[in-house]
Amino acid sequence: MNQDTKSSRRRFLQHSLMGTAGLGIGIASTSEVRARPVANAHEPEISEQFDVLVVGGGTAGAIAAIQAGRAGASVLIVERGAQLGGTTTTGGVAFPGLFDAWGKQIIAGIGWELVKESVELDDGNFPDFSRVPQRHWHNQVYTNQFLYAILAEEKCEQAGVRIAYHEFPQAVTETDDGWQVDCVGFGTKRRVHCRQIIDCTGGAEVVGLIGFERMREDETQPGSYLYMLGQAHEPGRNQIHRLYVHGADSTNSRTVTQANLTGRKSILEQVRSRGGRLMHLQPETGFRESYRIVGETIITVNDYRSGRKFEDAVANAFYPVDLHTRDGVRPEPLPRGHVPTIPLRALIPKGSRNLMVAGRSLSSDRLANSGLRVQAPCMAMGQAAAATAVLAVRANTTPLEVPLGDIHDLLREHGAIIPGEE
Amino acid sequence: MAPSSRVKNNGTKAPTGTPRRRWVSLLTALTFGVLSVTGVLAFILPFSITIIGLHALMGFVFIGLIGLHLVNNHKLLTGYLRGPTLWATAAITVVLTALFWWQPGPVKTVLGWSGNLGPAMERFVMAADEMVFDYSPSPDYKLKLTVVTGPSYHVDPPPQVAIWLENQDGYHIKTLLEPGTGAAGHTPYWAFKLAGWERAKRAADEAEPEPIEIDAVSSPTPNASFDPADYILPEATGDSLPYHLLLEINQPGDGQPSLVHAVQIDNRLPRTFQLLELRGYPKRVDDEDDPEDPEEWALYFIDETFDSALDLIDSALLTIERGQ
Repeated sequence: MNQDTKSSRRRFLQHSLMGTAGLGIGIASTSEVRARPVANAHEPEISEQFDVLVVGGGTAGAIAAIQAGRAGASVLIVERGAQLGGTTTTGGVAFPGLFDAWGKQIIAGIGWELVKESVELDDGNFPDFSRVPQRHWHNQVYTNQFLYAILAEEKCEQAGVRIAYHEFPQAVTETDDGWQVDCVGFGTKRRVHCRQIIDCTGGAEVVGLIGFERMREDETQPGSYLYMLGQAHEPGRNQIHRLYVHGADSTNSRTVTQANLTGRKSILEQVRSRGGRLMHLQPETGFRESYRIVGETIITVNDYRSGRKFEDAVANAFYPVDLHTRDGVRPEPLPRGHVPTIPLRALIPKGSRNLMVAGRSLSSDRLANSGLRVQAPCMAMGQAAAATAVLAVRANTTPLEVPLGDIHDLLREHGAIIPGEE
Repeated sequence: MAPSSRVKNNGTKAPTGTPRRRWVSLLTALTFGVLSVTGVLAFILPFSITIIGLHALMGFVFIGLIGLHLVNNHKLLTGYLRGPTLWATAAITVVLTALFWWQPGPVKTVLGWSGNLGPAMERFVMAADEMVFDYSPSPDYKLKLTVVTGPSYHVDPPPQVAIWLENQDGYHIKTLLEPGTGAAGHTPYWAFKLAGWERAKRAADEAEPEPIEIDAVSSPTPNASFDPADYILPEATGDSLPYHLLLEINQPGDGQPSLVHAVQIDNRLPRTFQLLELRGYPKRVDDEDDPEDPEEWALYFIDETFDSALDLIDSALLTIERGQ
């Protein structure tokens, strides 16, 4: 029996039941698909080879994987969770920004393509970038997080990227031509041989595993647990309730667990004390801050606020200095006309080869990081890191030795905006 | 009729009139005394909410007492309404009202002696090469905005200027300088903000107070106060929130929209000198054909269609001197 026939029969039964009852009771429809078979699914240990391994499928990682795949590399992306998108999807901060500054779009490329398609497919709205935002977040793009996650997967698939959910690296060893990375998921031990690693974990976890220097604050900024109490959640349309989770720390599974338990417990207390239905709850806290690498250069807050144009700039960024504390946050807008840039060297751990980071763990001081950590710059970093990694694979070299002009050319080819060319 | 008095058996004089008349007359006289003193103090001294509050509230009491006074003496007062005296006093009242309303030079001079009204009255001076606005609500807070004019600036007709304060959420909190009478159309962004503030204030007054929740996504704690004093002269500097001073300027007849310049003021990080930055130009964004759609204006980034309007102002310097 084919799927259409099954579906028709089900619809007929549903309509008949509703007609008989005459009560207008909605019955959830069920459709069916079949998962593709997984080769050697019963083998607990597998070994594979890729040009580029992207660790972390979040805001930067998904974009990095798509870029690397589109540029012709063989790519594996491993993600500890169950979907791509990270903060935008799992964290629920589905209003990425900022793609514009001072009336112009400054970040585009694959990240913008994904956001744009998510909004268009959802029949949503875009902010008018020519309009002066009363507050910086007015130009964030309200996005349907569910569509975003699925579209990211589709784009990965179209780019030939292999996705490995529920896995994470446990050991990383340098080899003659790159890396050997042992990843573990439930029922899976995967040994990956790759030429380049892009660490998009948000906490430079791979960099830490290898042993390169990282930095972090004694007390990180609070995370935000997003939920909706008492009113319907309309994805891609409006704001959502937020709970500050102080002490939220994404360092490891234990700290993440603790943050999630704390957040959910508090939300349960709110349901009991305030009443109203819990209409939406993200699966995880949105984390703001964790480890950052010590890179070949460190972006300082002065570099950031002054809009310093680094000689090896590969991406733009734009957001106020936005450090959250126990008392909330008072964003400090950037001086008029300033657009910070992200240098390639801030994505490369100091003294490393064949290793890059993208996302909020880039090499930066805390205040600069408070503006660089947001989604649009992280997407731009992911794309820039991937372009560099692919060029390094092609030239059999390390990212620091890839000619900047080649990186810019490849990024332009894939729709990115090069600093100074806005 | 001469006031009468009676002599009591013990030789002391008994009070004249009925007890009600005595109460009303004495209260009227005494409240008038308070009004007189606080009125003079309000004129002489810098603005004080204590003095002005006392003066205003006592004024309401006085109005009530005057009503009772009229009731007590209506027969006598009705007699005053006959004869030429009525017309003469009415004419004098009209002339004085007109004089104080229009405030010709000599009247302005007298008002200028006031410690309270003087700074407010003389706060805006427009000359060929600059415009200066002074605002000093307290000896501890002196605000001065000096606008150096550019080559497109004309004094005939002069540009229309509005200056106001907004909180972080973009709500108007106080107008410092209104454009000339009937000129609000030249400064539509200010007019829109003022109207929004009046609506929001009404709504806030009518609504039940809600607890302020900190914003855990990206914006600061919402700023709910509509009282300018909370921003300009906060009781505790550490609790104050940044606010913005905006200047909208339009040169009539230049065929270009007004321009809005702005600067953020943060009492936690007090700065004496700050330059205003050109923020944008206002454009109506509601559906003008839809009567149900409320009028809404937004600022847009300057584009290549602007020319002379960009030369209206050379610079706008905000100076704030704060007391210790």
